[in-house]
Amino acid sequence: MTARVESPSADSPLGPNDLRRRRFADGDLVFRVMGAVVTGLVLLLIGLMVAQSFQTALPVFDRFGVLGFITGQRWSPTFTVYGAWPFIFGTVLTSLIALVIAVPIAILVALLVTEFLPTRIGQPVAIVVDLLAAVPSVVWGLWGLLVLVPFLRPIERSIAAGPGKVVPFLGPPTPGPSYFVAGLIVALMIIPIVAAVTREVFATTPRLQREAVLALGGTRWDVIRRVVLPLGRTGLVAAVLLGLGRAIGETIAVTMVIGNAPRVGSSVFSPGFTLASVIANEFNEATEELHPEALIALGVVLLAVAVAVNGAGLMVRRHFERSAGRGR
Amino acid sequence: MAVEFSTLLKPTSRARRLKSDFVVVLAVAATLIAVIPLAAVSLYVISSGAGVVSLDFFTQDPPGDLSAAGGGIRNAIAGTLEMTALATAFAAPTGILIAIFDTEVGGRVATGTRLFIDVMAALPSIVVGIFVYSLVVVTQGHFSGFAGSVALAAIMLPVIVISTEEMLRLIPRPISEGARALGLRRWRTYLSVYIPTAMSGIFTGLLLAVSRAIGETAPLLFTSLGNNFFTTDINEPMQGMPLLIYRNALNSAFPAARDRAMGAALTLVVMVLAFNLLGRWLVARRRPGRNPGR
Amino acid sequence: MVVATDTRQTPMAAVEAAQSDQPLPPEAAVLRLHHVNAYYGPRRVVRDISLDIARNSITAIIGPSGSGKSTLLRCMDRMHEVVPHARATGLIEYRGIDLYDKRVDPAAVRRSIGMVFQQPNPFPTMSIFDNVAAPARFNGLVHGRNEAADLVERCLRQAALWDEVKDKLRQSGTSLSGGQQQRLCIARALALAPDVLLMDEPCSALDPVATLQIEQLMTDLRADYTIVIVTHNMQQASRVSDRTAFLTMGEDGAGYLVEEGPTGRIFTQPREQLTEDYISGRFG
Repeated sequence: MTARVESPSADSPLGPNDLRRRRFADGDLVFRVMGAVVTGLVLLLIGLMVAQSFQTALPVFDRFGVLGFITGQRWSPTFTVYGAWPFIFGTVLTSLIALVIAVPIAILVALLVTEFLPTRIGQPVAIVVDLLAAVPSVVWGLWGLLVLVPFLRPIERSIAAGPGKVVPFLGPPTPGPSYFVAGLIVALMIIPIVAAVTREVFATTPRLQREAVLALGGTRWDVIRRVVLPLGRTGLVAAVLLGLGRAIGETIAVTMVIGNAPRVGSSVFSPGFTLASVIANEFNEATEELHPEALIALGVVLLAVAVAVNGAGLMVRRHFERSAGRGR
Repeated sequence: MAVEFSTLLKPTSRARRLKSDFVVVLAVAATLIAVIPLAAVSLYVISSGAGVVSLDFFTQDPPGDLSAAGGGIRNAIAGTLEMTALATAFAAPTGILIAIFDTEVGGRVATGTRLFIDVMAALPSIVVGIFVYSLVVVTQGHFSGFAGSVALAAIMLPVIVISTEEMLRLIPRPISEGARALGLRRWRTYLSVYIPTAMSGIFTGLLLAVSRAIGETAPLLFTSLGNNFFTTDINEPMQGMPLLIYRNALNSAFPAARDRAMGAALTLVVMVLAFNLLGRWLVARRRPGRNPGR
Repeated sequence: MVVATDTRQTPMAAVEAAQSDQPLPPEAAVLRLHHVNAYYGPRRVVRDISLDIARNSITAIIGPSGSGKSTLLRCMDRMHEVVPHARATGLIEYRGIDLYDKRVDPAAVRRSIGMVFQQPNPFPTMSIFDNVAAPARFNGLVHGRNEAADLVERCLRQAALWDEVKDKLRQSGTSLSGGQQQRLCIARALALAPDVLLMDEPCSALDPVATLQIEQLMTDLRADYTIVIVTHNMQQASRVSDRTAFLTMGEDGAGYLVEEGPTGRIFTQPREQLTEDYISGRFG
């Protein structure tokens, strides 16, 4: 079983057979095969699920055409008319609002933790911010619905009555649940991931460059402005992309505060729908013709967008890590 | 990368120092803006939910009609625990095995698998719900706690793979080289050296995955569907905590439903936090190689 | 346990052969390196080294940092290729077998040619007992409690550690001092009954007392094993070894063999100027 090395007699040298082996023997072959099989099976299963969903959605794409479905502005199950545009619009709008709010905050939080606070205080602060992500989506939605919406309504009303008269998109109606509230809640939910990735990015800033600026009399802000931010540019792009990826997929919290109106709203304070929230909202009651299939088609669209955005974010991040590793 | 040294050679003017301080103030303000909602949510859930929870709340089932007062969330607690346990049984060994395979094989296969897993980790959970619906519910012809478990397992799997891979990568070189230099077979090194060494980290990853799965609603919506009655039969539609909260919240015009949602929310948050903090505490306590030879 | 039972040379004769200035007869060499080159990716770190390692002797490989000493050592038990993109060319003969032959299993090589590292690396999740016994058990060298206990005691005695740990065999391997951990690692390596023991700067992480203990250990082990030690400590090399090989980094960044021979001669009458410079501390 084991290759034992016999002590050589003076006359017969050993051959390679004593240290022999076919390349992988004993348990090792089983080990590798098992690993490959399990991994392959999982990938296969997922591929199967994706394929099944595609297949279910096919009739919808046949009926309206892929482009037609994506740009269709009307969603009317009773008339068997399905267009995804209101939901794409809603997803884009809420995600945009979320990013506009979350990214600056997340970057500032990351700066605070990595640049301004000593590690002993910075660590717990980082953990607390990360805990935002531990709150289940449904609890955010509950709070949003019962607390945030009533709280914001008078504020929204005054904005709509004031600047809203002049600035497009800020006008009435203001019933409460809206793109704006949804965007706000989603912002809270994506701050942790953007901040976490940004923290990692800032942590890779080479000490040498940092200290060079300080040694020349620079302030902390100088260090940030001239070293940390420029060197971290690519990484920040990755952080934003990953935050966006998370934002477009947020379902439950959104569906509880967005008002559920399958239209393209005229203002950020209007109610609406996102791709994810309409699926959650209508799926279990979808009895009309092609309704469930249309919802699954929406899921396919959502999948495509999520994979694209997250895939891009991951690749940018990988690229950043590699170049940061090489030391610029 | 050009740093404009000339500007830095000027003495630090008051203006520049003020600018730097201003940024600090901004950063603190931003952090507060981020953290205050966390406090607000926690306080709200605690204050509104505390009055609702009681022993009865945990041991009784909800009434058939959501708007009626009384009852509890027993079926939801049981359902969540059962589905999460089954999901862990699916996802944990599979995820660890995939992580080992990736670490061992390396190269392009591992990079590709890892990219796939990373994308999977970022997928909207509702999309996962749709997938599992298409495969399991449609095939079986009915909703079930089993389908819910599969959906939760799909959510947990990437988390487990990623954290286990990280842990394996963190095994100090001296240990991995030491094991190889002893001529041990690869599977043996994993079984007897690497996995035990990385165990606490792997376990933490598991706990974090569990805490995530407990709070997920969307994957359950079209798989386990929900159930007003108590059942432990995995082939029946099953209630879960997040589902119960969701359905009651949608009916929150009724005070009874609203109270039930708040009580359940408090319970859910406590459960999630318990696993989450336990996981973090374990990491802080025992990292591999934390006690190098003195 | 493998013992060098070549009937034509007793251990003492082997040592004498090692220490003589004559070229080594083939049967006295347990490892023979011919034109070995080692690369990390495209970068060559060891250039064209040919060297014979004499049986039952202690061979020291010395030289400044970056001269490829550790890399060369790691080629001898096929640990070099464990690093991604690392490879080695040339012929390394072990008792007449080409170590790099396609049919040879690296794991089997490492059971016959053991290694002790610079930083002591006992397995943190195993007890002292298991650290020594488990690898032997996994390789099928012992079966059952009693055999394992005998092996553990024997190896710990050989490593001069038995008396210090015999009452705490169940404690974690990492609860020992640095010097003790290193001796534990030596015991662990000995448990596999290797033929050759490679030691990569085994004392550099240890205090002087522990260092002397290990050096004494090496001298005692020489009777049953062949030892190759990489060290940047010249005094150690001159104290302990029978033969010394001096490597240095060439202009292309790769290490090459400057000179090799019995320790006594290398340190008193080196043939190369570079050797003399290094030994007298003019560089490195």
